[in-house]
Amino acid sequence: MVLFAVTGCRTSVNTVENAQKEGQRQMVADQRVITDSSLRKKVDIVGINQAMTPGGLLKIQIELLNHKGSLQRFSYQFEWFDASGMQINNVASPAIPDQIEGGESKFISGVAPTPACKDFRVKFIEN
Amino acid sequence: MKKNVILSLLAAAIPFVVGGCATKAHYIQTGGRESLVTVNSINIQDFIQAANNATSDLLASGALDKVPNPPAVLAISRIVNNTGQQIDTDLLTKKIRVALLNSGKAQTTTTLGLGGAAEDPMAKGLQQENEFKSDQKVTRTPDFTLSGKIIQTIARDGNTSQSTFSFQLSLTDAKTGLAVWEGEKEITKQGARPSVGF
Repeated sequence: MVLFAVTGCRTSVNTVENAQKEGQRQMVADQRVITDSSLRKKVDIVGINQAMTPGGLLKIQIELLNHKGSLQRFSYQFEWFDASGMQINNVASPAIPDQIEGGESKFISGVAPTPACKDFRVKFIEN
Repeated sequence: MKKNVILSLLAAAIPFVVGGCATKAHYIQTGGRESLVTVNSINIQDFIQAANNATSDLLASGALDKVPNPPAVLAISRIVNNTGQQIDTDLLTKKIRVALLNSGKAQTTTTLGLGGAAEDPMAKGLQQENEFKSDQKVTRTPDFTLSGKIIQTIARDGNTSQSTFSFQLSLTDAKTGLAVWEGEKEITKQGARPSVGF
């Protein structure tokens, strides 16, 4: 009974993908500040890549991985900065609720609100 | 006797249990983690999330960049509310308008509205007066119209209730009448309904 209670919520994701990739990700060197080491194991940042949209807006994509075997709920929020390092206020920049299954790798992305955005920061918090 | 003592203790604890959870009125971040989440209605964080999703998707598509004289001019058409809740659709469209204006990619006309009704009648009057005086048409015809629908889908299983709100938007080229961008954001919320309600 105890065994079922302990293992009952554990689910993990298996994946398959093409081995020879056509697309080339433009990876971004990142700088991390970890204050919640527990969240780091559940919502680990594997890598960040960027691209420009047809309209000249910076698009950021972050690959996340849940090292644990159970579903984790979290929220993330993008912040954008101009060439002077000033934060650009965006009327619609919410803390977006999301979830990641156990063992799952998933991508989240954000598009800069103006062409003036040069830098970004993403905050993660456990729900 | 023992039963009476237990009942007395429970009765004495009720004010602490009921009153202990009361919180003083305080400010929270709009759309933040402390916001109330209700299953059967659209909360402010849902509008913010839907608007953010639509704006990002629209800007990334490049549809607004394909006009001969940028920035593109946008007119707001009908946003149909197919939910069981009375909502002001400006909670969605205004956020999109502000974000698009700030992006420098689009401007919204306030003198041309659905059924000929202007959002800003004074601006329309002044515009018409200027056109009469100069004998020239200065009004720029919108490049695009934005229309959409908000739909609610409800599911229940026992005490569990679930609502999915679909925010559907279309950007139509005013010249061709073709949708050049379409976006849909679905937000699903689930929660247990109290077995005893007040």
